[in-house]
Parts: sequence; structure tokens; C-alpha cells
Amino acid sequence: MADYAAEPASRGIGRSLLLTLPVALWALLMFSRALMLPGVAVKVAALLTLVFLVTLFFQMVRTRQTNRWRRWFFATLGFLFPIGFVWELVALRGSMSIPMEKMIAGDTPFCFMVIPMILLPAALTRTVIFPGAILPTASNPHSIAAMIGLWMAATLVLGKGWCAYGCFFGGIEEGVAAMPRKARVRKIDGRWRLVPWAVLAAIVLLSLATFAPTYCEWLCPFKTITEYAEVRSIETAIQAGIFLSLFFGLVIVMPWLTKKRTQCAFFCPFGAFQSLFNKIHIFDIRIRRDQCTDCVLCQNSCPTMALNKQSVADDKTLINCMHCGACVDICHKDAAVWHIKGTPVGTAPERARLLHLYAAWGFAIMFGGSIIAGTLTKMLGFLG
Amino acid sequence: MRLLTEAALLGLASGPACLASCGPVLTPWLVAERAGWRRAFGLLSVFLGGRLAGYLLFAVAAGLAGATMPLGARERALLFAAAHLGLAATLVAYGLRPRRRAEPPLVTIGPARRSWMPVLLGLFTGLNLCPPFVVAAVRAMETGSVTGAVLFFLAFFAGTAVWFVPFAALGALRVAETVATVARFTMLALAAYYAYLGILTLLGRLLHG
Ligand code: SF4
Ligand code: SF4
Repeated sequence: MADYAAEPASRGIGRSLLLTLPVALWALLMFSRALMLPGVAVKVAALLTLVFLVTLFFQMVRTRQTNRWRRWFFATLGFLFPIGFVWELVALRGSMSIPMEKMIAGDTPFCFMVIPMILLPAALTRTVIFPGAILPTASNPHSIAAMIGLWMAATLVLGKGWCAYGCFFGGIEEGVAAMPRKARVRKIDGRWRLVPWAVLAAIVLLSLATFAPTYCEWLCPFKTITEYAEVRSIETAIQAGIFLSLFFGLVIVMPWLTKKRTQCAFFCPFGAFQSLFNKIHIFDIRIRRDQCTDCVLCQNSCPTMALNKQSVADDKTLINCMHCGACVDICHKDAAVWHIKGTPVGTAPERARLLHLYAAWGFAIMFGGSIIAGTLTKMLGFLG
Repeated sequence: MRLLTEAALLGLASGPACLASCGPVLTPWLVAERAGWRRAFGLLSVFLGGRLAGYLLFAVAAGLAGATMPLGARERALLFAAAHLGLAATLVAYGLRPRRRAEPPLVTIGPARRSWMPVLLGLFTGLNLCPPFVVAAVRAMETGSVTGAVLFFLAFFAGTAVWFVPFAALGALRVAETVATVARFTMLALAAYYAYLGILTLLGRLLHG
């Protein structure tokens, strides 16, 4: 029998502290090395990050709201990642652009966005079509093996939740989308949601045909704030133009106008690929039909349009749900709920949420936390 | 006879390269068609017919020119650009074409409407100067006559065509409406890529003579 008893609005402080304790210990373990390193900047950065992440978790537990607090972490990650990354590039090679010689030498840092493109060529020909190093080197610590290992771990723990707890690029859009008070563009055709699948199909087919990482060469909006090939020809100039237009259009202007993560929802092929892993993920969001009033608040709140009329009627989300929790937070009828697959919908949804959060926040501290702390260290060191 | 065997073997050996070259066009198109086995084979045959027409046109033109090299760099670039732009236009037309009606009309007057698009897709992919095509063109020119070149391309085509048969399975898939829509979007994305290749080649020619 499903347990539909309404939960009290917020938890007591003592109980919330107790539930936060495992995460605090995990964070302490993760940052213990940094806290013991010589130098004030590194210690202060680690401590600030630790306190920030543990406080957010505490608030998620206390208020029973997920997205409201998760967004702060995610936007911070999105803001600090490019700063730290570019800082590192400039320190290593004096510029954001990567010269051809470095590419040939396999010095391009590997990015998880490439994964869907390299799988088929690697399976068919045992060739990795990316100019990076398989194992970490002194000049390129972001090796192919390390990133694929990290992605596999994240996928097991989070499924598509990678897009809400791991992807620093998504953090930038989330930060921009959170700024305006109201969306100026509200009516968006649901078919745009299919475009990321088409981009995924196109880049996989073209990568097989050309044996080149097509997405990185032509379509990655995030080259604008990470690194790009040196502009030396018409071709590289056009590429740079495409990167800039996609970045400003989909990551800045459209999120501002729609309050949605437009790059993630309407373009990102990696997000589409990652959605497939929701099928094997044990957590999902469900709708209790008997509580739902079809008010569409949840649909409007979803940053990736993973809910529509039909899916709400079918009591579930679409495949591209990233488990951000915005729909659950906003549902005033407690109809949108966290759920563990295989259990009846509505059985202890708060327990399902907490279990999901332990896994997701554990990953967030390890991955996003280390990026935030790393960048803060550089910034504090710079300030003296 | 020896030459024809060589052409057929060259075609067979070039199969994977042909698939890599034509696969990006064939895959979304056939998935979007949701044709069923019979119609999928029909569509594939028309596509291959278009592709053969592309080969033969090239063979006749090059044979008539009587050159030892199939084309000069300038002509090659122009043909490459035209084929890519044509392919892009066909993909756009296909991607944006209104969907076939789910139910056939009760009464159909006049002959069934035929679409030229599979022929055009075949023709433009046939002319897209992929590496095996260029190798075949060089060998065909060495035959020294139009007939020789045409026969060489016919045998080469037969060798490559074998590799395309499994694609019919994609057309036979009865995928959901959503997947078919994704396939159409994919054709539009690929159209942008081929259009870009065509335009870049033209620009390169204009700027560098
Ligand atoms: S916000 Fe809640 S009540 Fe409103 S449509 Fe969504 S699930 Fe139903
Ligand atoms: S359906 Fe809900 S949890 Fe999933 S992405 Fe949309 S708002 Fe977030």
C-alpha cells in the first residue's frame, strides 16, 4: 500500500544535522589532503568549499527542497570551472588556443563530450579518434582513460543526473537561467527536444565516416570558454564563428530569455546519449495521478522540458530527466515524487530523495568540489 | 574480362569506404521512411540506381574528355562542391517534406506520385568523389575509351552494391514516430554539414583560383 501521508514542511535542526553527518565526513575525507598541504590559499579554498557544500546539503535535508540549493553549487561550478581551466592552460602553454603541433603530440585535454563519438570507431577499428593522450602526462593531465573512468563512475551513480550534478558546462546555463525574474519566451515547441538526438546521430555517423571528432571540430559551444584550435585559415575562422554563436545563443541569450537550459535541452548530444543511462538508473521521478491537479507547474519549471502533458498523464518523466528535483520542489500537491524503481509510486518518496542525494552529493563533492576548490586556490593565491 | 574482374574486386574491397561515405545519408533517410521490407528494398534499389547514374555520367564525361587523369583540380573541386550542395538541398527537401499520410486515400486517380528524391540522393552520393570513386575513375580513364570506362564503372558499382544490401533492414524498422522525426532532424543536420563542405570548397576555389 502506497504511503501517501504528507511530510511536514521542514525538518528539525538536530535531525537534519544527523542526516548531514555522513556527507560532512565524506567531504572531510575528500578535502583532508588539501587541508594538510602547505600554503594558506589551498587550506582556505578547501575549507570554504567544504563548508559551502555541506551547508547546501544540510539545507536540502532541512527544507526538503533539492533544486533550490543544488542550483547554487551547480552555478558556482559552472562559473569557476572555465576560470580554473583557462588559468591552467595559460600556465601550461601561455594561451587558450591549442597549436597544431600540440594536437599532433596528443596534448589536447580530453573532454567527456567526445565519448559518444569515439565509441563506435574504437569498437570497429580499435582507434581512438581524438588527439589526446590515453594516459595522463605532465603536459596533459586530462587523459582519455581518466575521463572515461570518471564518466563511467558518474554514469553508474547518477545516470542522466550527470547533467545536474557533474557537468560544469550545464552549470553556466543554470546560472544564467536563474538570473532573470521571469521568462520572456514561454511557448516552446516540444519537438525541439528531439534535436539533441539528431545532433547525436549526425555526429556519430559523421565521426564514423570521417574518423574525426566532428562535434569538437565544428559544434562545441564550450570551445568559447575552454580551448580552441588556433585561427589560421578560413576553416578555423568559420569554426570559431560557430563556437561563439552557439555559445552566446544557446548558453547565454536563450537561457536568459526562457529560463531553461536551452543548450542542454535543445542541442547537447552528450546529454541525449547520457539519457539512455536513465534506463538503468534506479531512481526516477514519478507523478501520483491521484494527487495531481494537472496545474502544469512542474512542466513549466523543468529546465530541460522533460515533462509534458502526455508524460504527466502517464505518471512519469521523459527519458531526458536529469533528476534536478525542480518539479518535485514546485509541486504544491506533493504529486511529483522521487521514486526507487521497482517500488510502488509514492512509497517513502523522501527516503528515495535522500538516498539519491547521498549518491549524487557524494559525487558532487568529489568531482565538482575538487574543481571549485582548485580554482579558489588559484584565485586566492593570485590575490596573495 | 580481366579489367572487369579488377573493377568488381575494387568495388568489393572499397565497400567499407563506400559505406562510410554513403552511410550518414542512407541511415537517417531509411529510418525516416519506415518503409517495411518490400518498400525498403525498392527504395534502396532506386537509390542505387541513382548512384549508378552518377558513376556512368562521370564515366561518359571523363571518357569523352579522353584525359588520362579523370579531372583537373579545378573541375574536381567544382564537381565536389556541386555534388555536396545538391546532396544538402535534397536532404533539406526530404527532411522538411510533409509526412506521408498514415492512411491511403479511398480513391486514387491517376498514376501514383513518384518521388525523385531517392534517385537524387543516390546521384549526389555517387558523385561525391570519395577515395574509392577517385581510384576507380583513374583506372577507368586508363581504359582509354568511353565504353571501357562505362563497363569499368558498371563492374565497380556491382562490387560496391553488395555492401549496401544490409541497409534495407534499417528501412524495414517500424520505428516510433518520434524516432522518425529525429531521423528527419538528423538529415537537416547532415545537410548543414554537406552544404558547409560545398560552400567551403567553392570559397577555396574563388580565393585561391
Ligand atoms: S506540479 Fe504537481 S499537481 Fe501540478 S501538474 Fe505537476 S505533478 Fe501535477
Ligand atoms: S522532470 Fe523534474 S527532475 Fe527531471 S529534469 Fe525536469 S524538473 Fe528536473
